Amino acid sequence: LNEQTCAFLRRGSLRALSCILFASLAIPMLPRVTSAAGDGAAKPSPLFSAMKTELDRSMKTLGAQDPPAYYIGYILTDNDRINVSGSNGALLTSDEGRNRWLEVSVRTGAYELDDTHKVDGRQPPNGGPGMNVPVDDDAEVLRRAIWLETDKQYRSAAEALIKIQTGKEVKAQSEEGKAPDFSREKEVTHIGPWVSFTVDRKPWEEKVRAYTKYFRDSAAVINSIVTFTAQAQNTIQLNSEGTQLQFGQIRYRLELFIQGKAGDGMDIDRYYNFDWVNPSEAPDDKAVYAAAAQLRKEMEGLVVSPINDPSVTPALLTGRAAAVFFHEVFGHRAEGHRQKDVNEGQTFTKKVGTQILPSFLTVIDDTTRKRVNDQELLGFYEFDDEGVPAQKVVLVDHGILRNFEMSRSPIDGFPKSNGHGRRQLGAVPVSRQGNLIVESNKMVSNAQLREKLIELIKEQGKPYGLLIDDIAGGFTLTGRGQPQAFQVEPLVVYKVFADGRPDELVRGVDIVGTPLASLTKIVATGDTPEVFNGYCGAESGSVPVSAVSPAILTSELEVQKKPAATDRPPILPAPAHDKAKTGGLQ
Amino acid sequence: MRMLRLAAISLVFWTASAALAQAPSDNDHTLQAMRDEMARAKSRLELQITQGDKPVRPYFIEYRLLDLDVREVVAEYGALLSTNHNRSRIMDVNARVGDYKLDSSNFVSEEAFRGFIGSTGTVGIDRDYDSLRQDLWIATDQAFKEAAETYSRKQAYLSSLARQSDIDDFARVEKVEHVEPLATSDWSNRNWEQEARDTSATLRAFPLIYESRVTYYLVYTTEYLLTSEGTEVRANHSFAAIEAGMNALAGDGMQVNHYYSTYAPRPADLPGVEEVKKGLNVAGSELMAMRSAAPAPDYTGPVLFESRAASALVAQVLGPSLSGARPPLAFQPVVDQLMSSLGARSDWSGKVDSRVLPASVSLVDDPSATDYKGTKLIGGYAIDEEGVPAQKVTVVENGKLKNLLMSRRPGPDFEKSNGHGRSSFLADPRPTMSNLVFGSTETVSRDELKKKFVDECRSEKLDFCLVVRQMDNPAISMMHQDDFTGLLASFGGNAATDRLPLVVYKLYPKDGREELVRGARITGFSPRSLRNIAGIGNDDFVYNYMQSQINGIAGTALGAFGSAQSGLPAAVVAPSLLFEEVEVRGARGEPKRPPILPEPPMTPKGGQ
Repeated sequence: LNEQTCAFLRRGSLRALSCILFASLAIPMLPRVTSAAGDGAAKPSPLFSAMKTELDRSMKTLGAQDPPAYYIGYILTDNDRINVSGSNGALLTSDEGRNRWLEVSVRTGAYELDDTHKVDGRQPPNGGPGMNVPVDDDAEVLRRAIWLETDKQYRSAAEALIKIQTGKEVKAQSEEGKAPDFSREKEVTHIGPWVSFTVDRKPWEEKVRAYTKYFRDSAAVINSIVTFTAQAQNTIQLNSEGTQLQFGQIRYRLELFIQGKAGDGMDIDRYYNFDWVNPSEAPDDKAVYAAAAQLRKEMEGLVVSPINDPSVTPALLTGRAAAVFFHEVFGHRAEGHRQKDVNEGQTFTKKVGTQILPSFLTVIDDTTRKRVNDQELLGFYEFDDEGVPAQKVVLVDHGILRNFEMSRSPIDGFPKSNGHGRRQLGAVPVSRQGNLIVESNKMVSNAQLREKLIELIKEQGKPYGLLIDDIAGGFTLTGRGQPQAFQVEPLVVYKVFADGRPDELVRGVDIVGTPLASLTKIVATGDTPEVFNGYCGAESGSVPVSAVSPAILTSELEVQKKPAATDRPPILPAPAHDKAKTGGLQ
Repeated sequence: MRMLRLAAISLVFWTASAALAQAPSDNDHTLQAMRDEMARAKSRLELQITQGDKPVRPYFIEYRLLDLDVREVVAEYGALLSTNHNRSRIMDVNARVGDYKLDSSNFVSEEAFRGFIGSTGTVGIDRDYDSLRQDLWIATDQAFKEAAETYSRKQAYLSSLARQSDIDDFARVEKVEHVEPLATSDWSNRNWEQEARDTSATLRAFPLIYESRVTYYLVYTTEYLLTSEGTEVRANHSFAAIEAGMNALAGDGMQVNHYYSTYAPRPADLPGVEEVKKGLNVAGSELMAMRSAAPAPDYTGPVLFESRAASALVAQVLGPSLSGARPPLAFQPVVDQLMSSLGARSDWSGKVDSRVLPASVSLVDDPSATDYKGTKLIGGYAIDEEGVPAQKVTVVENGKLKNLLMSRRPGPDFEKSNGHGRSSFLADPRPTMSNLVFGSTETVSRDELKKKFVDECRSEKLDFCLVVRQMDNPAISMMHQDDFTGLLASFGGNAATDRLPLVVYKLYPKDGREELVRGARITGFSPRSLRNIAGIGNDDFVYNYMQSQINGIAGTALGAFGSAQSGLPAAVVAPSLLFEEVEVRGARGEPKRPPILPEPPMTPKGGQ
């Protein structure tokens, strides 16, 4: 929805956020990344030729209909997934599943004006959610599914185009509407190897039990869920322009999630995730327990911490928090399709070539980047969901806005995709962030940055400033007719005092502000880039993204109170922490 | 604990017969964790709502837990679509505030309490003690707060009513201890994936079937129940299903569907590949015949329901009438109206000792029956979902209403439960049939019944009359949610009285010729229509099926449309039935356009 672009869905499946639009899909999406191109082992799947046959046959006939289909695209996604999760010291689930999903996109009309043309500012959908197809390689059964789905998609695209042609005559054309509906792109051919994995679930079953038992041992933790997932995803993409792609990607993830409640009923969550690609880089028990101990400690501190009053103070955001801040406040507004939609606030649409950030900051979105330091970037891929190769895009060059993240939906002055058309399986791609990386040439050490924070607090005569260590994401309003405001929810916030008192953990704050003003208040950055990996939910569903940033110091940050919870804390203490013992294991 | 999103997933089971009261020694600490957390909740759980008033306490707490071991294998045209094996545990805690006379239940309010974790969720599968106590602790807390809040809303609402019901909210029962030994899942040595491939490949022989899908659904469950009244249950159930849906397009663009289904108490009891192939072949051939059959005409006149169709008709028409529970109080009148238009209110309520069926007919629901003259019945169980032992209930005797099916929710006619509080997937238990036998003391042979039908037809001077051979089950025959939604919309206000026949023939009395028609719908067929039956056959048919437990459909005429994933096993036994006057509405509906391209090749053997 263009009203609400929601942020990092860090909880993954653990919690439903209202802004997930395609939550009903059976298969959660993980990123696809190709392995080394030109690998000798790479052979096209036997399904390739079946898909090609059906594509050619359909294009020939449907291309000659009135209105003609001018573009047909097929994506076949093969998912092999393992899921092991534990809760409160016991195994919750341990299973694996495999499925294949077919998506068909048919466009009618022509690149300049097609069935996706915006009328009344709304873009008609193109392509359905797709369908399950057999995991057995049976060309005939697959062709039958493609045949029916292509026909269905052609019909709806033809109907949409006729509606648009009728509507267009009576509506004034907006400036945004001048750009073509679909960009022309070069065909790409790439056959990567079909990837697969073998994972022994048993050791993970033991681990998730042990990790969640560790959480249960804390009286502040009411509920804990730890989830290990492994996914091998192989993709075949074909379109009538000649693009033919096959690529695969394996990813592993471990998520730690705990819930607690403060004395006044406020819900408190803590979450941490590990992402890795190489099985040898799986986090060992030491690393996991270190993260778990940190979460536990934060939870134990937060449930008894005071609520912060609304304030405007200088603030220091650690690297991961700063990364989420940029993703929310800047990144969503640099997504190309938002510049085209008349319902969007278009904060940056007319700002290309002008200064929007301090001149020491450069922001790129580089989806060709696999790692920063030793950390995997979740937003890495080789081809986007419209078959366009990934690229490094300089969005802001030394403070000056230069570019947007572009899908194949062009905007005035930006006729081509730069490989950011992305979607969750079953959704229609729009321009989305991938690896948003903030670079600075005004770096100081993190210790110096803290000193500068204290200087600023003194300068402004404030009693304290804020240190923000973790941000959950939140939502940002990019729609027109709403204030161009953002609101992000920091999870771990400390008051930093100018007089040398120890930092004080506080809770119940939301960061609020307007992007154009907030971004110019950044005065310096730290010297160590930190990585935040997560899933971002928006119009085209939930997609894996990374944000990378050094710590940032801002001269002014406004926080407001979070709405209060109505639920009270549990009446009885947790059974394991009850002084009066009832029963027990015999 | 993970909060449950109540999807359309549902549960299904069949009861193992033996019940042992002995607590067996095994590694299952479920009941013990429940017992201990229950003890704590009973003695110490209370809320001070208003200062000075007596604190609010629950008068009843119930722990339900379902341990599920499910395999689902789906194939189409010989190719495997998916195969899943999943073990999970779902828990639901229910607390009641008030007393048996008036409590926090039976009230639908628009604003519900929202706890942050909730009283329902998936819990650990280890059967361990500590994690379950943690989960029960928080779920009990949430359930109690929810009950306290609902109770005060309900009291506020009731105080605005001029007249209040004198029916109790909750029936008292004797406590029951029924702890079966823990059963292990037996998947047999059959290769279910290969069977699904092999059976579904049969439909490759019909290139004009657009879509088809065969699903094997195999379930083992252990069900736990512990109440503050002292009831303790651990019971094993199993269930197995093969269901297939298929569709095609007639020349005029009307979509035609067909289905195949078979159910068994255990996976090993499911029919083998050859038998399933035969069934799929029949359905596939009939679908092809329907494709080229003439659209059904509008018709009013005699209709013969052959026993296969008659048993399904009885399930649809009488199912909702058998419940003696009163519906919940709805805060909004519109919800009330919706419920009655869907048929949620029993047509037989208030008619005890009145004649509701022909004088020769009796209707008996028997949860303890396992077979009918050698054919397996799938609706049985020993203890219902509320911990009440299942009872055989004679609902109708000599045509007169004698009893209704009761859960622990009292109704206007009866107060006590007779062990029919059933639910799938830990939903609220409702009075639901198990194995229902429609019997008559005045039956005739098949041939005599048909002769009577033809004579009737002649005497009305009709060119043809209609025979219904099979009723539809759109929950299986329709392969897309869109189709099902469209169907529900097409009922308009007639959801309670429209019936969906699937295989319908015109029978010409002149020469005995039969001619298949498609798209017929029976209208205005209510339980009252069953008071006058012109003829009853002696050819009893056992119709095993899944009753829907989806909210909004359950307990209505549409409740007969369930599938293995969204229903409760039930069986109806009934003979062929002849009616003198039935109204049939001819084929209607928006035609679809056939695909522009011809279908791609599909060879009978497959491309593997």
